[in-house]
This record gives sequence, structure tokens and C-alpha cells, in this order.
Amino acid sequence: MLERLRFVPGRLLQAVPVIFGVTVVVFFMVHLLPGNPALAILGQTATEDRVAALNHQLGLDQPLWKQYFTFLGHLLTGDLGTSISYQRPVSELITTAIPVTLSLVVFALVLALVLSIPLAGIAAGRPGRGRDLAVRAFTLVGQGMPQFWVGIMLLLLLAVKAGAFPVGGYGETAGSHVYYLFLPALTLAIALSPQIIRSLRASTINVLGSDYVGTARSKGAAGISLFRGHVLRNAAIPTVSIVGVNLGYLVGGSLVIEKVFAIPGLGSLMINAIFSRDFPTIQAVALVVALFVVVVGILTDVVYTFLDPRVDLSAKERA
Amino acid sequence: MTTTAVATARRAARRPARSRSLRPWYRNGTLVTGLVIVGLLVLVAVLAPWLAPYDPVKQDLQSALQSPSGSHWLGTDKYGRDVLSRLIWGARVDLRVGFLAVLIPFVFGSVMGALAGYFGGWFDAVVMRVVDVFFAFPFYVLVIVLVFVLGAGEKSIYLAIAAVSWGSYAKILRGELLVAKKQDWVVAARLGGMSHARVLGRHITPNVLSQALIYGMSDIVMDILAIVTLGYLGLGIAPPTAEWGSMILDGQEFITTQWQQATIPGLAVVVTSLGLSFLGDGLSDQLSPGRRS
Amino acid sequence: MTRAHRYRVPGIALAALLTLSACGGGSSSSGSGDSAAAAEGGDLVIARAADALSMDKTTTFDNNSIYVFEQIMQPLFTVSKDGKEVEPLLATSYEVSDDKLTYTIKLREGVTFSDGTPMTAKDVKFSIDEDSKTGADGWGYINAAIDSVEATDDQTVTIKLKYAWAPLLADLSLFSNGIIPENYGGKTSEQFYEAPVGTGPFKWGEWKKGQSLKLVKNDKYWQEDQPHLDSVTWTVVPDANTRKLQLQGGQIDIDEYPDWSSFGSLKNAPGITATAFPSTRIDYLDFNQQKTPFADVHVRRAIAYAVDRESLVKTVLYGNGEPADSLLAPGVPYYAKNPDAPKFDMAKAKEELAQSSVPNGFATSITINSGDPNQGSVAQILQAQLKELGIDLQIEQLDPTALKQHRNAGDFNMIIGGWTMDIPDPDEWTSFAVDPEGGSHSAYSWYDNPEVVALNKQAQAETDESKRADLYKQLQEKTAADAWAAYLYYSPYAYATTDKVKGFYATPLGNYPLEGVSKTK
Repeated sequence: MLERLRFVPGRLLQAVPVIFGVTVVVFFMVHLLPGNPALAILGQTATEDRVAALNHQLGLDQPLWKQYFTFLGHLLTGDLGTSISYQRPVSELITTAIPVTLSLVVFALVLALVLSIPLAGIAAGRPGRGRDLAVRAFTLVGQGMPQFWVGIMLLLLLAVKAGAFPVGGYGETAGSHVYYLFLPALTLAIALSPQIIRSLRASTINVLGSDYVGTARSKGAAGISLFRGHVLRNAAIPTVSIVGVNLGYLVGGSLVIEKVFAIPGLGSLMINAIFSRDFPTIQAVALVVALFVVVVGILTDVVYTFLDPRVDLSAKERA
Repeated sequence: MTTTAVATARRAARRPARSRSLRPWYRNGTLVTGLVIVGLLVLVAVLAPWLAPYDPVKQDLQSALQSPSGSHWLGTDKYGRDVLSRLIWGARVDLRVGFLAVLIPFVFGSVMGALAGYFGGWFDAVVMRVVDVFFAFPFYVLVIVLVFVLGAGEKSIYLAIAAVSWGSYAKILRGELLVAKKQDWVVAARLGGMSHARVLGRHITPNVLSQALIYGMSDIVMDILAIVTLGYLGLGIAPPTAEWGSMILDGQEFITTQWQQATIPGLAVVVTSLGLSFLGDGLSDQLSPGRRS
Repeated sequence: MTRAHRYRVPGIALAALLTLSACGGGSSSSGSGDSAAAAEGGDLVIARAADALSMDKTTTFDNNSIYVFEQIMQPLFTVSKDGKEVEPLLATSYEVSDDKLTYTIKLREGVTFSDGTPMTAKDVKFSIDEDSKTGADGWGYINAAIDSVEATDDQTVTIKLKYAWAPLLADLSLFSNGIIPENYGGKTSEQFYEAPVGTGPFKWGEWKKGQSLKLVKNDKYWQEDQPHLDSVTWTVVPDANTRKLQLQGGQIDIDEYPDWSSFGSLKNAPGITATAFPSTRIDYLDFNQQKTPFADVHVRRAIAYAVDRESLVKTVLYGNGEPADSLLAPGVPYYAKNPDAPKFDMAKAKEELAQSSVPNGFATSITINSGDPNQGSVAQILQAQLKELGIDLQIEQLDPTALKQHRNAGDFNMIIGGWTMDIPDPDEWTSFAVDPEGGSHSAYSWYDNPEVVALNKQAQAETDESKRADLYKQLQEKTAADAWAAYLYYSPYAYATTDKVKGFYATPLGNYPLEGVSKTK
């Protein structure tokens, strides 16, 4: 089995230029600001003294290449700069926020799977018929709804009208986190599940048509036990990559959803930072999230290799 | 990154081969449904000045927060503006920005992808690594940050969306080109002395562009969702312009008393997305029937 | 404590010698309606739009900070529940010399700081001196009349004035003159204000900046049987709608400033008490007069006439307020109704603009607090009204913390200012608002009219009540005519609490003493 992980070092190597590129993009964001970055942070009506002072504080009075290497050097030592609005190391702010966002994302993923697997199974059972069309309608609508709006609607129906859930916040204890995060996670799951359902449905149909399932059927397997025992595992394989690709999307979505539900994660941190022109914090959140996506990409490939005997990434050139 | 997700999902989810021959577009139910919905929405957007019963930005503070009635079908908002009129004018803004936002990444991404796929080599490698870098950022992270960096407003929205989504078009075109350039007639054309530019321009591109076009339909959905989200976050089209996202933001304050204010603009987004999705699926049936796996 | 006489502030100057009787122990001075059966314990959670900025009582102008550190650090005098009188707190009595230049103040006995060290006259001298030192960079301007503060003995403080000064006791009741340990208990001032120590009912807990701030019960509090609560937590919930929903869901106990839009429905909601406490609050449009074209009085007047105050009250406050006609709110001593103050009149607005340097209008911006829906509404209404004048108003949103930084640095064209009195004397605000030396460049407007500055100075020194009233009347008329700011409206303080919260009230000065508050299970 281990030899199938031969591709990992190469894959890691491949991630190096991407990570390098990510740092370049994050670094140059600040230089995209029209005119003077300090001016954009302070507002167009800032006095010259303050602009000069902030430029100096941010090191923006240095030559560009030097600034970049200083930035990179700081990154390597885990120094993400100092938050302008909180006057605290950004790394501290990020470290408190990451577990919150991560739990939300994982929770959302679990809910998405819980939602998608049965729906995909139902749809794939009789392709083209009523139930399939209903599931397809769900995926189309699910994909077309603005996530934050879904959040507001869930809040209205389940928290305000029904009073079954809290209307925002994160809670104090681990147990209450789950309770508080349910609605936001459900919101994200509704947005994510259409992709998973589509993929799972298609691959389930393929698997159902294969000889191998035919054999199982002839041996008397049917219904849910057939689906669970013989179909799901094989059908899940392509879905893994869909989930992997979508984890990044999920993180992006969670940033907006955190704002709707007042959850103190990376998203709230970033949106607040935007309204306070807190550039170091914005940069750091973008960087951390991008690195997360790169890591998840690698992990997805690893999982994929283990799940699918036919895949040998070490042999395949990946686009 | 959502855009790729949609593309991948789409490819993975294609229905199993059912023999379907080329048929006239008007018998393609999905396409027609999509065309009707999108057509109606475009009509509403274009005719907004005549359809809307009131000026969408004109405040009438004396008649604020009215419930739906004969004179205001969807009621009025906090500033006494007619919600229906704002909804209609919002279609104009959101559809226009959504459609326009697709153009730059479509053109730029397609050109880069086509060149990368056709020429290969170091150029291909560089373009694809750059695409990877942009794909590393979740859609909303990059859009929100870029809109902030470039300053709130329509122009920034176009640029931010372009930066975020050109990579998908590049990947699609590159993939198509890799296949196409190996085909006999392309090889023959090259051997026959046709220049790279002519082969690319005349033979390959029109043939492979349809995939990008199909993808573009789902991309418009993404862009409209992004525009609405930016509006909701207060980073989009500036008030008082009527826009669905900021209407939801304004309406959220009255969610318990006047629920329709936040609900209806959201439904408008859903209908628009559905129409565009149907249109995309229909187009895909129509333009590349042989492509079903 | 105090069976102490209450007295109206304007009256104190007339009284050549007034002795307040002292007594030890007894019932609460705050009259906060706490009953013997008040529930003990519990954590009171107050949700608010923005976090506190700093615990430095001498340089912080921001209410979110003030309402917190007031629970920790107490001044010698305090303000009565109705906000109109000054009564002793850490002091018990005082005497004024015949020339009105020397005040001898007796301190309450048996008061200790929350760390256990007893409070003495040396601590008082240090605390007031530190405040005076901040001068125009902080609340020091409040103490401008003080010549010296001396610790005569452990329990006696002598304050000498440079000149007769009507508002002294009111000034001493300001939180900036709150009492802290001498020499910051051996720390630097920065270190000290990271976790301040005082004599108040609560002591420092924990501050997760941007999220929550917690104070815990001071077991050594000098008033017996108080406070009732174990702790108080202020959580930051920028979105007013979320705060309201959290209150209804019981996640928070108090919503600080619920939206006026939901105030009516909160009032009728079961289990919720929503109260509009009378206030001294004025909201105004602040022009940055360093920026063109706001140095032009005609431009300012044009905008002041273009503000439809009645509609603002209706739309923004849902009727819970009054149009403003003076920089002083009606609840402030010496408020004078001013029928000549700019009222909504588009014709006059156009007339004024035509006389200005920009007769055809101009483009400008207003910077608003991204977490305050009222400011968003005012700005949008203003935008529509100014459009008729040819003024193109862009709305920029900033996080409250960043907004304050921009404001303090003068990086804005227009902002929406709000003021609440902290002492029952108009001088605190007039000096802040119209005197460029008053600590804030004339409330960040950079307004500078020597005539008005002179009026303000005369009023400070005037000890005759009716003469003082006349001076303030002139000042109010002059500032309104100058349109140094465009007054918007007077609004009460809205608070919504769950019915579990007992004994909560806000004074007209905006602060809310929490020692008498309890929370039932």
C-alpha cells in the first residue's frame, strides 16, 4: 500500500510554486491599492504625516523586492504582522479564529454528506423518474440560492419563528458549539450538497450498471443493503475529489455565513478587518485560507489513492 | 474554488448515454425553459423604466414601511421606496453586472488557455501554475479582498471577478485544445503550410469555444450570486441604487415584521439562477450532444 | 450612604458654605430600586455594537469604554439618578472658602481598592493630577480651573482654584477624575490601564478584544451587600438584528441600544422589557471645517437647512425623539429653545448655497459607522436630500474603531456625531464642542469662532445663575447661526432587557450603574 504513496513527494514539490505564488499574490494585494496603500488604509483625506508614518510602519518605504523578502522572512517565523485595529499580533487573532471556522467547515461537510448520500441514492435508483427529477430540482435550486440568504431564511424559520436554535453566536462550551453551529453548518451544507449529489448520482448510476453489481444482485442483494454494501464505496470515489475541490469553496462560503450568524471565526475576522481597513489581518486571513486549500488538495489526492485501486497518481501527469 | 467545482460536477454528472440525435433547439425542453425564464428577466430589466410603477430611489419618508397593498404590491421599504420598483430595477443592475462580469474572464481566460494548450511547453506550464495559484484562494475570499483593494463599485466588481474566474476558462480551453490539436485535420492544416494564427483562429477556436460558452452560463450564476453577496456585505453597488443584495440587507432589519422585504429579492436571485442553469444545460445538450459520456 | 442633601448644581455657587453630613454604612446612594430580596450571583451579559477602546479614563471619549470603566473606578462625587444633581460618592462632605477658590473635601472612611489597599487622600491627589495633565489631549480641560490638589491628611483633600469656577463639583463627578491608586500602584500608566484597579463594585476580569469584556464582582466593595452580580460581560455583536434575536432567545440579558425599528415590537414581546430612558443625547452632523468647502458658513447653513429633522425622527427613531434646535439637549441645564435654529427649508437651503463658494453644488462624502443602522439611515436620507441641492454625497462605511481613528485624525468630510453629557453642567460639552482648546478640536469640526470661545469662557467663570443662563443662551444662538454642526435630533436611550434583569436603569447622562442590578435565575 505504501508504495502507492510514491507520488506524495512529487505532489508536495508541485505545491511549492503554488504556495510561493500565493505569498506573492497576498503580498501584492496591498500594492494593488490605487495610489498609496497607506492612503487607502487611512482614507483619502488622511494627512501626509500619517500616511508617511504608516508607510514606514508597514515598511512600504522600502524597495519592493526588499519588502517582499522581509514579508516572506516574517512568514517563515510565523509573524503575520500586527493588526492595525486590535494592536495585537495577527497570528494570535488567527489562531483563535481557525478552530471556529474549521469546526464549522467540518460540521457542514458532515451535514452535506448526510443530506447528499440518501438523496443521490434515491435519485440514482430510477434515473429520469419523479424522484430523480425532484432531487434534480433540489440541486438546481440549492445551487442558485445566495448562501447568506439561505442563512437568513433558516434563521427566520427555525430560530425566530420556531425558536429551535439560537440566532447567532458560538456558545461557550463544546456542546453548545454544536448547537450554535447547526444552522450555519446546515446553510453551508445546502449550498454544498448539490455538487455532491450530482457527482454521487452519476457515479452510482455507472456503478449500478456495472457487471459487479449485476453479480451482487443475482446473489440476492437489493435495496439499501445493496447500496450500502456494494455501490456506495465505489460510487464515492469520484465524489472524494469533488469534496476536496469544494472544501475551499466551503471555507469561502463560511466566511460570509459567519457574518450572518455572528460566529467569531476567520470570516468575521476578515469582514471586520475590511471595514476597519486592517490590511495585515486581511492579508493573513487570505494567506491562511489559501494554504488550507493547497493542503486539502494534497490530502484529497492521498485519500483518493487509497480509495481507488485503479488510481496511481505517481504515473499520471496531473493537469 | 466554486467555478471549477461546478465544471467538474457538471462533467461528472452528465447523464448516462441515451442516444439523442441533434434536434432543433425549440424541441429541447430545458433550453426552451431556460430561454423563456432568462428572456423574461432580460425583458423586465430592459423595460424597467416603463414597468416599474415608481422611481426606485425616490424616498417618500411619509409612507415608509407599508405592507403590501394595491398601490404598493410588495409594500415599501424603510425610506418609503416601492419594493416592487426596486426589485424590477434590481434585475436591471444585477443582470447587467452579472453578464458583463463574465466577458473579461471569458475572453482573457479563453485566449490564455487556448495559447497554453496549443503551444504547450514553458508557456503552458507558467499559465497553469498561475491558474493554480488563483484557484488556491476560495472564490469569496479573493473577490471580497479584491473589491476592497480596488475600492467598492462596479468597476472593481468586474476586475475582481475577472481575476478570480479567468482560470476556469483557461483550463477548459486548454483541455479542448490539447485534444483538438492532435486531430488529423489540424495536423494536415499545419502541414499544408497554414500559420499557427490561422489554425488557432479559424479552425480550433470556434469548435472548442462551445464548452467555454456552456460553462459561462453557470459562471453567470456564480457572478450574480457574488454580486448579491457583495451587496449584502455592503461592499457592492453603492446605495441608493436598487440591487437585490442590498435589498436583502435593508430588509433583514424587518425580517420579523415585514418578511417579504428580505425574502422576495432572494427569490428573484433563485429564479434567475434557475433560468441560467436551464439555459446552460440546454445549450450543452444542443452544442455538444456527442459529448455525453 | 448619604442621607446627604441633594442640591441642584446651579445652586452650589450661591451657597457660600455647604456641609454635607456624612454617615457610614446604610442604604445605597444610587436609589436604584434594589430590594432586600434581590437575587444574588449570576453573569449579566450585555450585548453592544462595538467594543470598548481603552480603559484609560483620562483620554477616552468613547461611551462603550466609559460605561465599562465607570464600574471599576469611582470619582469623589457622582450624579443622581435623575441626572440633574451632584451627590457625594467617595467624598462625604466639602467646604468652600468665601472667595470660592478653595474647596476642602472629606473622604469616605473605610474605602479600599479592589486589591485591598485603603484609599487615601494621596490617591485622590494623584488621580486628579493625572487627569489634569492630559490637557487638550484628554479630559484634562475639565480640570482647567484647578490650581492645585493637596492631601491635607489621609482623609482630607484641599483643591485650590485659579479662578472662581462654577462647575467644579460636577467636574469632580466625571469619570476621568475617578480615583485610582497612587503612582498606578507601581506600574506605568499603560500597564495599569491594561487591568485597572479602583474602588468600584466590579473589578477587572478579562478582555478578548473585539469579542467580549468581562468584569467580576469586587468582594471588597465598600457598599455593603453590593454588587449582587458575580460578573458582567459585554459582548460585541455588531448587528442590531442579531442582538435583538439573541435577547429574545435569552442568550443575552441586555441589548444596549436596540434598533428603533424593533423597539416597538420588543416592548410588546413577552419576557422582554424595553425602556426609553430620558437622555441628554444630541446627534449632529459634523462638518470637517478644515476641508473645502465646509469652512464656508453658507455651505454649512445650506446643509443644515436641507436636513428634514421631522422625517429623520419618524424614519430613523420611529417617532422616539425630537428634532434638535441646539447643541444642548433639553435635559441639560441652561438649554434654551431656539426657534431661529435652521429648520428644514429647501428654499432657504438653496438660497444659502447660492451665496456660497460652490453655488452649483459639489461632491463630498460622509463616513458612517458600519455597525450602526441609524447612521446608515441618516446618511441615506441625507444623500437624497442633498441631491436636490446638487450635492453629491458618497457614503463610506467604517468599522467603529477605525471610524474613531479617522475622526480623531481629521480624515473625513462629514461624520455623524453623538454626545451625551457626563456631568450635569453644560460646560463639559460646550467646551468640547466650540472651544478648539477643549480636547477635540471643537468636537472634531475644527470650528473656531473667537466670539463663541469668549462667550464660553465667560460662562465658565460666571457664578450668577441668571447671568450664566443668558450667556449660554447667546452661545446656543450663535453656534446655531454659524451652523458649526447641523443638529439632527434628540433621542432617548433605548435599552431592552429580559425580565430576569432587575434594577437596571440608565441615567440621563447615559451611564448605567450596575451595583444595584440583579438577575433572577
